[in-house]
Amino acid sequence: MAREGTGSPRRPPKGTKTGARTTRTDGPKAGGTQPKKMRGRPGDRRPPQAARDEAANDARPRRFVSTRVDVEGREEITLVELPDFEPAPWGDDAQLAIVGTPARRADARAKVTGRARYTADLHRPGMLHAAIVRSSIPSGRIRRLDLAPALAIPGVRDAVTAGDVPPFKVRNFHPFEDVVRYVGQPVAVVCAETLELAYRARDAVVVEYEPTPHALTAQAALAPDAPRVRDEGNLAEGEPRVAVRGDVDRGLADAEVVIERTFRTPVALQSALEPHDALAEWNGEQLTVWESTQGIFNTRSDLAGAFGLPLSRVRVMQEFMGGGFGAKNGASTNAYVAVTLARRTGRPVRCVNDREGEQLDSGNRPATVQRVTLGAKRDGTLTAIVLDADIPLGVAGWIGGPGKIYHELYRCPNVRTTQRFVYTNAGAMSSFRAPGHVEGAFGLERAMDVLARELGMDPLELRLKNYAPRDQEKSRSYSSKRLDECYREGAKRFGWGKARKEKGERRKATDGTARGVGMASQVWGGGGGPPAYATVRLNPDGTAEVLTGSQDLGTGSRTIFAQIAAEALGARLEDVHVVIGDTERTPYTGNSWGSITTASVGPAVRMAAEDAKAHLLEAAAELLGSAPHALEVRDSVVRVRKGGKSLTFAEIGHALGDVMIMGRGSRGPNPDDSTLSTFCAQFAEVEVDLETGVVRVVRIVSAHDSGRIINPALAESQIQGGIIQGLGYALFEERVMDEALGIPLNANMHDYKIPTMSDIPVIEVLFVGGADTTANHTGAKGCAEPPIIPTAPAIANAVADAIGAEVNEIPLTPWRVAESERGERRKERV
Amino acid sequence: MQNNSKTIGQQGTLTAPDPAAPPVRTSTFHLRINGAEHAVTAPPTALLLTVLREQLQLTGTKLVCDRGECGACSVLLDGEPAYSCLTLAAACEGRDITTIEGLSANGELHPLQRAFIEYDALQCGFCTPGQILAGVALLERNPDPSEEEIVRWMSGNLCRCGTYPKIVRAVRAAASAMRGSSHGT
Repeated sequence: MAREGTGSPRRPPKGTKTGARTTRTDGPKAGGTQPKKMRGRPGDRRPPQAARDEAANDARPRRFVSTRVDVEGREEITLVELPDFEPAPWGDDAQLAIVGTPARRADARAKVTGRARYTADLHRPGMLHAAIVRSSIPSGRIRRLDLAPALAIPGVRDAVTAGDVPPFKVRNFHPFEDVVRYVGQPVAVVCAETLELAYRARDAVVVEYEPTPHALTAQAALAPDAPRVRDEGNLAEGEPRVAVRGDVDRGLADAEVVIERTFRTPVALQSALEPHDALAEWNGEQLTVWESTQGIFNTRSDLAGAFGLPLSRVRVMQEFMGGGFGAKNGASTNAYVAVTLARRTGRPVRCVNDREGEQLDSGNRPATVQRVTLGAKRDGTLTAIVLDADIPLGVAGWIGGPGKIYHELYRCPNVRTTQRFVYTNAGAMSSFRAPGHVEGAFGLERAMDVLARELGMDPLELRLKNYAPRDQEKSRSYSSKRLDECYREGAKRFGWGKARKEKGERRKATDGTARGVGMASQVWGGGGGPPAYATVRLNPDGTAEVLTGSQDLGTGSRTIFAQIAAEALGARLEDVHVVIGDTERTPYTGNSWGSITTASVGPAVRMAAEDAKAHLLEAAAELLGSAPHALEVRDSVVRVRKGGKSLTFAEIGHALGDVMIMGRGSRGPNPDDSTLSTFCAQFAEVEVDLETGVVRVVRIVSAHDSGRIINPALAESQIQGGIIQGLGYALFEERVMDEALGIPLNANMHDYKIPTMSDIPVIEVLFVGGADTTANHTGAKGCAEPPIIPTAPAIANAVADAIGAEVNEIPLTPWRVAESERGERRKERV
Repeated sequence: MQNNSKTIGQQGTLTAPDPAAPPVRTSTFHLRINGAEHAVTAPPTALLLTVLREQLQLTGTKLVCDRGECGACSVLLDGEPAYSCLTLAAACEGRDITTIEGLSANGELHPLQRAFIEYDALQCGFCTPGQILAGVALLERNPDPSEEEIVRWMSGNLCRCGTYPKIVRAVRAAASAMRGSSHGT
């Protein structure tokens, strides 16, 4: 975007004052150490001549610097453009009228009336329906694949198989080969005039396999004579991932108490209600794709790359999205095949996964086996944390396991994690809401409870004893860490001390049930970072549009952006319309993942609105015969502070005619000297039927430090939702495989149990943090993933407390819980 | 962007004559949907869900599990909730079919729709039409349901975003609002 192209009036550069604030003296690779980098103030944009003058001056501020961004537990270095100016931070004392209020969801009306059109709902003239033929065996060679019987069905328009589609990869794997490696692997695609015909054609495709032996578990895949899941070998990267801090052998030698346990977690399926789907349409050389995606720009670059198209000829859109929990981070198989078939047939093609396909082949949270050793002094001080883990990834995926949280959550000088990522004959893993941390928190936080019991300590006390005030991995401070407040406030609201004391009495319940309490905590990123851009435009009628290339997965980002823009602009919330989900209309913004959207995009939206406001005030000053600094703006009205003259946005717009007021915003770099993280502590109370082992979660209190909360109602919704997904992970959710056949047995919504309304406890959500203005100038951080991280261990710890026996494998099915309880009683008898 | 549904209906693929197609055994029957009569030509095996979504562009009714497990395709048949993915379209002749689009046909929201907005009882919104229709059916037969009754009645409607606590609140609030107003239901 041309920096000088906004057509707004400009002031001459401020010269020395601005320059002095932004001049950098550190080396070119240092990336800077000032927490706040900026180039000026609203309206301070340099005219071209000034920019040229600066270019001749060595001391000029740099436009681009490197910064670190934490994405789903991975830290990425990114080159970022310094914003022209950075608005003053919204601290805890900022007087905000719209940010911080429970404004109603901007798209709620469209959603409650059924008018919201999701990708799966879209129809285009002449549209064909595609259906994917999937492998029915876990391992083998395709001996014969015959599309002819499908093509012979009237109304069937095309069919493709290996060789007809470009060599794209989804979850680091290209499915269309002559070898199949998991049940559900796409091997062919048909398209027809109606969905029913497409399904008939799919079933008519003949595929003959020559089966080969399969390996489903890490143990089986790492055995000496194991079948090769991937040609390059079954151990990803050829060796385990080892990460070490300090010396764990010495730490264990120093320990007065050592506990060792093995924890197991299941494969969990995202199960978004809107499956992966895409609709592709060619108009000449221009490709338009609608897709249910967490990243429209990622999808665009994926498709442009695979089909050899310039980015300018690919448009990706998404107005509404029926859930995205990590598995929709780029172009899907559905998009690639829809584009292929649309090009071949000359017709728009829609490809929507059926439910079975979705549950088989849309990513998952991989299973883990975590062998944990903790060493501690008698007073609870941790001396060593050791993890040895196996993570069967399925056929592919990325390397990110349970290990990271073991390095982060507690203060401990000696930590070693060893993780084997293993390819197996099952659907590939993908991100699933706090990938790695959810699994890791179960092992670590259960182990901490076991240790507390061993030491005779209150589990909360043990956690406070090992509180980590600094980021030990990166040897730097957190921009803000109020986990201690989360512990204290959460415990207070829950009545932790009282609940623990009463336990003895509860246990005596005569109805065959026992109650127990447990807790766990969490650390996660969610601080966001660049790049993210936004444009704010004022229309002549006084309404405003926010354009940013983000997407709303159901989180409420659309509403959050509107609140931030309205606040910064001084507009009424109802006057602000947010345009997202369209690569052609909006400037770039990254994926909605890693709980980063509010913290990444929010500051860019705010800056764009502040920029637009600066221009608006200059125009208003001219019209009111005043000066911009003498004006105030609120509720879409500009007023002279003293004197009372005022103009509404609409009146200003009318006076300006077609002169466009437009603001441009971008996300500035993160501070180099601190880690941006989110935290929470969760407390759970459960009731266990001792006869059947059925667990009922009675209540959960969750106390969060996510910085400023832009909209407490939406934040609460998201946190409740995260806890409910975590409850499913703790109690019900598990992909069940037939080990002999290698076939998933519950690829549907009935046998794969997600929580229903009758499983829901009383959930109380507390926000203890305040604005984190070191993180960014809105003070906000994310809250999508934090709530799901500690839920399963908090529940399991409560179950262990109730039954007086350890439960180290989830989901906590009645059978597992009853067995643990009976095992404990048997031990007591001998 | 999204296209006008009338245009799609005329140019759509389902009703377009296809010279290559064999004689398809279809029949024409009449469905009364949201108070309006629709002549539908479809095979006897056509599901109500498919007819609503693909022929009539009433896409507020969602396809999720396709086998009566999730409630996202719920519609009201003579006021009773039904899974449209398990209902033959032709069998609905003579019955009153209400979809989410019909709940506020005159532009005025149903009290439960208003309560869903007010209590933020939705996130991604994909299950929302089914949740609302299930709730409306409950309030029709029980204007003052207890929390337990709401939970039991609505447990067949899955929500993956986990909006359940707020859905319960919204149903309770709508019940109270409807009892309070003289022209509630």
